Amino acid sequence: MRTGTRRGVAVALAAVLALSGCGRDGGGGNQGAAKPVGEGKAKGDITVWAMGTEGEKLSVIADDFMKENPDAKVTVTAVPWDGAHDKLATAIAGKQTPDVSLIGTTWMGEFAKTGGLDVTPSDLIKKDDFYEGAWNTTVVDGTSYGVPWYVETRLLYVNKAVATKAGVTTPPKDWDEFKSAIKALKDKGGAKWGVNLQPGQTGSWQTVMPFVWQNGGDVAKDGKFTLDSPEAVEAFAFYKSFFDEGLAPKDLPQGALEPAFVKGQIGAFVSGPWHIGVLKDQGGAGKYDLWPMPTKQSGTSFVGGGDLAVFKDAKNRDGGWKFVSYLSRPEVQAKWYKTVNDLPAAKKGWDDPALSGDPQLSAFGKQLEDAKSPPTIATWEQVAAAIDGEVEKMCKTGLKAEDAAKAMQQQATSIGTGT
Amino acid sequence: MTAVASDASNRRGRSGLRLRRAAVGWGFALPFTVLFVVFMAGPVLASLLMSFTDIRSADLRNPLGVNVVGMHNYSRLLHDELFVKAAVNTAIFVFAGVPLTMVAGLAAALGLNSGLTRFRSLFRVGYYLPVVTSIVAISVVWRFLLQPDSGLLNSLLGLVGVDGPNWLFDTRFALPSLIVMAAWRNLGYQMVIFLAGLQAIPQELYEAARIDGATTWQQLRYVTLPALRPTLLFVGVIATIGYLQFFEEPLVMTQGGPLNSTLSVSYHIYNQFGFGNYGYAAAMSYVLFLVIVLMSILWFRLLRSEEGR
Repeated sequence: MRTGTRRGVAVALAAVLALSGCGRDGGGGNQGAAKPVGEGKAKGDITVWAMGTEGEKLSVIADDFMKENPDAKVTVTAVPWDGAHDKLATAIAGKQTPDVSLIGTTWMGEFAKTGGLDVTPSDLIKKDDFYEGAWNTTVVDGTSYGVPWYVETRLLYVNKAVATKAGVTTPPKDWDEFKSAIKALKDKGGAKWGVNLQPGQTGSWQTVMPFVWQNGGDVAKDGKFTLDSPEAVEAFAFYKSFFDEGLAPKDLPQGALEPAFVKGQIGAFVSGPWHIGVLKDQGGAGKYDLWPMPTKQSGTSFVGGGDLAVFKDAKNRDGGWKFVSYLSRPEVQAKWYKTVNDLPAAKKGWDDPALSGDPQLSAFGKQLEDAKSPPTIATWEQVAAAIDGEVEKMCKTGLKAEDAAKAMQQQATSIGTGT
Repeated sequence: MTAVASDASNRRGRSGLRLRRAAVGWGFALPFTVLFVVFMAGPVLASLLMSFTDIRSADLRNPLGVNVVGMHNYSRLLHDELFVKAAVNTAIFVFAGVPLTMVAGLAAALGLNSGLTRFRSLFRVGYYLPVVTSIVAISVVWRFLLQPDSGLLNSLLGLVGVDGPNWLFDTRFALPSLIVMAAWRNLGYQMVIFLAGLQAIPQELYEAARIDGATTWQQLRYVTLPALRPTLLFVGVIATIGYLQFFEEPLVMTQGGPLNSTLSVSYHIYNQFGFGNYGYAAAMSYVLFLVIVLMSILWFRLLRSEEGR
């Protein structure tokens, strides 16, 4: 019964604060242009942190890099995702960072604000090589602090048998068609639930916000939250209607989604590319279609993934950026896909037949052209939690969409953007 | 003269010896003291200072460049809807969970102490097993038990014609489910302590009580419980401190949901640290700490009063 590592981190940080001479000085903010990266091959030791599978398998790519740059030595440390956020925070505070690290896209705002990340050198990394939505995850207050490494976006997984029975043969184009398609999956297709949309809880904003974006709304505009804009309210009401009309389950137990979907009890759900593998394990391979997100003003989906950043306190900054630039090469991105199934953030990486030849994957590739990420503000995780909380109330307790939007806006405003 | 001189030299000798002893003592204590001051007392003091500032995770590289906000973090707590909710949940958890666990632990100990002789060690292991099992493994098993459609509990309820609820996803049942689970998980530890306490009660007391014609219930009420007072105090304090920091169960079972009905104060603190609100989270931690101290004092008052009188 411990509050665990986070408290530990704070205590460690607090040690630094023992002598308190205070006063805030305007904050980090714009750090100006990046220094150019030196010419030639990478040299010296390059330390890299990466999380999860990426951390375990990155050495494969690092070996190739070292063959090309014989004077460089890349050391990869695998960090579990669980402790990664705190480990990075502590490293930045103690100025004991690696040269390069994988950073979750929604953490960029927070870490860039600490002033611990190096500005992306525009002579080495070209913005246009990457999907716009993915690139924007690295941009904080107009300056880029990293490079998108891999991406994921969300599509609709639809049970083929149910859809055929329901007579839904083509993906719905607009919201109305989407709604009637989901209804058909339930009424004619024989599914108990037409669709599974996340009814609140951590990360539900990733399913809700695309509807707001599709409707022309946004989380924030010009530094002000716009969660209670008419566009947002309309999108929330649309989302809520699936629960009110009994088309989406409100309390699906953990792990129940995939088996129910394979059996045809759930007609469709919104998720990312990892579900291809999950469904395969559950015997669902070939039993589903992938639909793009429905269109209102746009057909926007959510884009997530991982960014690579080089730290201000890096001992080998140039080497770090060279390694990052190497990881962004199309052929390396394609090889990386074959190694760990991470989708390339560099557009050219998709030219590889392993990706472009796979209809399921190219569906994701196509959706990436129209995918957005939340604003890179330091307080995003907390704002997101507030959105999740109100979404849950809206879906489960009959809280009106306007009131939920108002509560989100009010909480987000009081949390602020961390400036 | 000589006497005085020798006395003085004696005193010098003695004070020299005392000094040397003190030096040796401190020498031995030094490694611990240094470690304690640097890694325990220092950070604790610093976190207290932190709770009076608006430090956030973005201030990491320049932790002294923050604003002092005085008691603002503490006054903010009262207007934090989630904190109030978490405080209420935690209070329910403590006031329902501690007595439940203590009664269950005591019952198990009484059973093992008197009646059950044949499979005593088997039962002891059985009751104690949950204490040493990883919470992650426990959560998997309990989630299966509490599954709404196929879970063991609802299947059993179905046999007697009751349509069981969706335990972990219903705002009315999620917290009670966790309370029962925590009681089940912790009663083994309490049982062991109670067993030790029971075995320390002299048999003569029971003999005397029986001769006076006391029933089993009366023996329990007037012999066992009074004699167990110090054990009860210990178990009560430990359980209260543990339950006030209620955290692992919601983390692995419900993530604080549904609708924050299982959000505890510790979980809320954990979230706030996660959001990078270090100053605010530190303030919350101190409030929790204060409550723990107050509750412990309350226990001592409650059970020590007899001796004081």
